[in-house]
Amino acid sequence: MQSFLQQIRGIFNRKKKETVPFKILFAEFKKSLELNNQVLDIIADANDKLSGDYIFDEQYIQSTCMELTDLIRQLIVTINHLTEQKYSELYTSFHLIEEEIESLLQGQMLNQVKDLILPYASVTRDLTDSVGGKNAHIAEIGTLTDLRIPEGFAITTAAFLFFLQENELYDWIFTIRKQWRQKVIPVEEASQKIQRAILDATVPPQLEEVILDAAAQISKGYRDIVPCFAVRSSALGEDEISSFAGQYLSCLNIPVKEIPQAYKEVVASLFSPEAMEYRLQMDFRPHEIMMAVACQLMVPAKASGVMYTYDPVRPEMETMIINSAWGLGEPIVAGEVPTDAFVLDRQPPNDVREMQIVRKDQSMVLRGCGGIGIDGVEEEQRTESSLTKRQLQELARIGVRLERYFKRPQDIEFAVDQQERVIVLQSRQLRLQHERAPRACDLTGLGDKYSIIFRGRGIAAMEGIATGEAWVMREGGDLKDFPMGGILVARHATPQLARVINRATGFITDVGSTTGHLATVAREFRVPALFNTENGTELIRHGQEITLDTECLTVYEGIVQELQYYSIQEEPIEEMYEYRLLRRVLKKIEPLNLTDPEADNFTPRGCRTYHDLTRFVHEKAVETIIDLNFYHAHNRDTQAGRLVWDYPLDLILIDVGGGIEGEHEKGIRPEQITSVPMRALLRGMSYPGMWDMSPAGVDFSSFMSSLTRTTSVRSTSPEDVGRNLAVVSAEYTNINFRLGYHFTVIDAYVSDNILDNHIYFRFSGGVTETTRRARRTRLLGRILSHYDFLCEMHGDIVVARLKRTDRERMLQRLFLLGLLVGFTRQLDVKMVSEEMITTFFNEIKTIMEKENGK
Amino acid sequence: MENKQTSILILDDEPIVSKRLKPSLEKKGYEVEAFTTSAAALARVRERQFDIVVTDLKMEGVDGMQFLTEVKEKYPDTEVIVITGFATMATAKESFNKGVFDFLAKPFKLGEIAEVIAKAEKKIKGTK
Repeated sequence: MQSFLQQIRGIFNRKKKETVPFKILFAEFKKSLELNNQVLDIIADANDKLSGDYIFDEQYIQSTCMELTDLIRQLIVTINHLTEQKYSELYTSFHLIEEEIESLLQGQMLNQVKDLILPYASVTRDLTDSVGGKNAHIAEIGTLTDLRIPEGFAITTAAFLFFLQENELYDWIFTIRKQWRQKVIPVEEASQKIQRAILDATVPPQLEEVILDAAAQISKGYRDIVPCFAVRSSALGEDEISSFAGQYLSCLNIPVKEIPQAYKEVVASLFSPEAMEYRLQMDFRPHEIMMAVACQLMVPAKASGVMYTYDPVRPEMETMIINSAWGLGEPIVAGEVPTDAFVLDRQPPNDVREMQIVRKDQSMVLRGCGGIGIDGVEEEQRTESSLTKRQLQELARIGVRLERYFKRPQDIEFAVDQQERVIVLQSRQLRLQHERAPRACDLTGLGDKYSIIFRGRGIAAMEGIATGEAWVMREGGDLKDFPMGGILVARHATPQLARVINRATGFITDVGSTTGHLATVAREFRVPALFNTENGTELIRHGQEITLDTECLTVYEGIVQELQYYSIQEEPIEEMYEYRLLRRVLKKIEPLNLTDPEADNFTPRGCRTYHDLTRFVHEKAVETIIDLNFYHAHNRDTQAGRLVWDYPLDLILIDVGGGIEGEHEKGIRPEQITSVPMRALLRGMSYPGMWDMSPAGVDFSSFMSSLTRTTSVRSTSPEDVGRNLAVVSAEYTNINFRLGYHFTVIDAYVSDNILDNHIYFRFSGGVTETTRRARRTRLLGRILSHYDFLCEMHGDIVVARLKRTDRERMLQRLFLLGLLVGFTRQLDVKMVSEEMITTFFNEIKTIMEKENGK
Repeated sequence: MENKQTSILILDDEPIVSKRLKPSLEKKGYEVEAFTTSAAALARVRERQFDIVVTDLKMEGVDGMQFLTEVKEKYPDTEVIVITGFATMATAKESFNKGVFDFLAKPFKLGEIAEVIAKAEKKIKGTK
């Protein structure tokens, strides 16, 4: 690469201008492309580390971030060189992101949102630091499963800090805390002082307003009743450490107006003597002492209860345990009232194995005007079961569902409302007794006990163990029929399969990449996934029960109980700090917000992640080269013109020496192009029929115009034109196409010297993933590999390289790339089924044979 | 020797390494002890021999290189596998000079280290 770049540079040395010579610009431009590719590859690799198949440490995360930061800095320097510092604002965005990543790496808790409140619909797991575990859990259940939860919103840790700081309490509290830690005052005194100060403080009007608004927003939906709320603690660390449960306050049935007062009470409970002592034991640091609060619409419960998805003392019994009583759940959780007890089979149809109905004389009920009370239960209900058989069945299903979702046994609080519907109030991990836990070493020799369908095949896209019914996806099969809790077995790991993510307990595919979309989704939802098993779909029978162990790359026939127990005991990787840290920093790196160059946010300030910065720089680099060499023609050492041909491809050609001949004021006709690689490419691109190979009813002209702009040179300003650029010389071509959301880069040098010859091809799709894109990627991979290219695929990026091949073969391959460029843009529309891959592959092969006689 | 479990000692100051590696290797039937400080690991190898030692190179206190040197001096037939985040040619060369069985750059896949360990095990069983 270096040697031939130098050759190109040599071409320019003839002329000297006061403007930046093109050779320098072009070198910078190519550098920006190279950096761009490096960044995207590192990001794809880092995401792959989340699969659980890797062992990585903090050191890796640190060095990856450092490397990326360094590359991004170089990218920004490069684009500013190219544009005479036009985008110096990029440094501002860059430093902001860099600082955020840095503080994450230093273990600082980030208040990820500045919002004082967040409706449950906008709460995700990543916001746990802002809303506390309880809020995050219940909101996630509501958003990502079809289970019912109470409507509600979170009052964030940002609100907590705002409240304390407005009242000048924050520093003061930690002074008091210090006095206690230094044994100047006893814990009771410290607690009392702090709690009183909090209760005496004023909720700032700005906070009060958003709280009342959010509550009113929810209340709007209820005309017949005056809705009241449960105001509960959701402190940082409360959910992870189960013995914390019950330390903090919950206020029940609070009318909207009284929520701010209840808020203060819940916040004050953060400083109860017990909680203060407890945090001391757990070595909480001051910045971890924060209280978010949950405001949930009160459920007027007919009955309530608690379910354990395993018997914590005897998990091997394979049972679920449910305790319930009439009315609200608080006295049940506190163990203050007698409860009905049910023991259910964990396996469907979840038969009731034991049932003990007790006499329930009293129940806790809501009072109309707010508050709660204890009432006597109607005589005939006292000895009746507080749950119906149907509700028990539903609870069993909910339990399995939550357990599969959170990957641990669950301790679930629930209520049955007046319409007899089961509502999940809370779900947290259930700790099983440790001595019962199967040990890893007991798991050897499972192969003798269970029959193995296959072993040592494939790669783990997401680590884990899954048991369930195999559902083998056939051509034309409908994912609608996929059963709850099934393991999806498919030929390809297409993004479309992600549709069943909420129902699937595992994925097995014959073909698939660990950096693809499905892999990413599987990690997000922690569903074990094994890809590239080659013929899993043939070995596994539709409907048979199987156990998937991705770590051992093994699929067993039937349910392997030992592995099932083992998997629920094992610490899931996402509970490890390094995993969470990588996930957190990737949120600042990976998401792409700048998807549309025409959109308002496509600015330096709009860049919020490293990916955004990369995308922005790439767009502007291409634009700048076109702008300087074509529209403004600064560079006398180049000649530039627009390609004029039968196809509406808006392409600017920049000739750096011997690539174009003749006059080009009115545009360049294909026959004027003398660049050898460019001619071969264009011959492929204009091959008859390539623009419209299949009979699919796509309107050709509108389709093309969506991909490239076809406005004339004179009637348009540079900003309005598509960014298709080709830099050519007699033996060299560098092409950058942006067609819709797809990017194609081709860099080729073809001469009689085999050693210098090379072709580099890079194709990347846009932001939104579709099945068709995945098929397109596979089609490209298949074709390119067939024609000797060395292919790499990261997600839907395809990179192909060919070197040291003779001139004639190089030109044939460039012709092929031309075919593909002309053709792949249609593929998103036409890749309607898996068979199309073979169909198109064969068509391309036919053309190649006809054209090249082989 | 045939029926005895192969014993492995893991030393890495980043707890996540042992935490992930130990259960994964135990599941494959190995007897595993894991340490996060070289002092503790050193004390343990002075008490008993391990068939295989997996160690990081850069750590607080006794350096991984020192540790593996001592292990190899004391038990020449213990196979040592080095895992490191700072893989340079120089450290790799030095490790091999000390008779290290293999050298893995972090991050690595569970499958990769399992493969190396299986090879080391084969070598040990083959020589005894």
